[in-house]
Amino acid sequence: MRELVVLFQKEWRENTRNFKILWVPLVFIFFGLSEPLTSYYLPQILDAVGNMPEGTTFPMPEFTPAQVIMATMGQYQFIGMLVLVLAFMGTISRERKNGTGTLIYVRPISYLNYFLSKWKVVGMIALMSVWLGLLTSWYYTGLLFGKVEASDFFAFAGTYSVWILFVVTIVLAMSAWLPTGGAAGLSLLLILIVQIVDSLLGTYWTISPWKISTYATQWLTGSPDSGDFWWSIAITILAIIALMIFGVWMSKRNASKTKV
Amino acid sequence: MEALQGLSWGIIAPIFIIQLILVIVALIDLTKIHQTNGPKWVWALVIIFINIVGPIAYFIAGRKQA
Repeated sequence: MRELVVLFQKEWRENTRNFKILWVPLVFIFFGLSEPLTSYYLPQILDAVGNMPEGTTFPMPEFTPAQVIMATMGQYQFIGMLVLVLAFMGTISRERKNGTGTLIYVRPISYLNYFLSKWKVVGMIALMSVWLGLLTSWYYTGLLFGKVEASDFFAFAGTYSVWILFVVTIVLAMSAWLPTGGAAGLSLLLILIVQIVDSLLGTYWTISPWKISTYATQWLTGSPDSGDFWWSIAITILAIIALMIFGVWMSKRNASKTKV
Repeated sequence: MEALQGLSWGIIAPIFIIQLILVIVALIDLTKIHQTNGPKWVWALVIIFINIVGPIAYFIAGRKQA
């Protein structure tokens, strides 16, 4: 237990010093702000930059509050995931490369604690960023478009948090397995590309971790099919545990690859 | 620019504040850091002149994590 605390503190300090604890949340808050604002001011923005001929009228789509929050999540699903992967792709692999790993691996640490300390810190930063961003978006949506019920919003954000933890675990497990570049590539493949495939072909199945974000948005307008929803959550949690075991095993196996 | 008159700046201000914080933090880090990937002055220009993406690009790619 003490070992985990020490490793956790080390990880925390590292992420404070490289400012990840500051800029990752700021990026998510930025998109949480800009999405409701651009939707709200779309007519003015088109007026100012659009160069429309006189008298053009656009039938402006009327956004419902739920749609605006969904749009924010849509931004997170692409740009947000990209930021998370790129920010944390080197969490374990970079330590092997720059020699920090050597300082850690010569001590009799348990690799479970080693992996867990990283998972906790990265997971905390990611969840904090996403929640701050979504809360900002919720606040602004309430201000500009109308109310979204608190219970709906928290069901949505809570469900989405499971997906975020899944993403974080993928990134860390890949970082434990491969060098930084490979970890980034494979994580992006698993997170972004599989998601596109899942949305294209996914009508054939209803239970998958990549459907969690869709189920999350359904909380805003109603509620998802509870059987599919809970099975997806269960499968995702199992996948998270499996990826963590894989990550622990890989960080142990790759420990000898560290540069001295 | 008349179209921009209707905006209420109190609502939009946070966006600029976030951008400003990112630029300032990135610049402070740039002056303190020992070495970057590529010349420092290029990163300074990137951070200052590219909106929002500049500081992020610096934090992801510019810092040499040694």
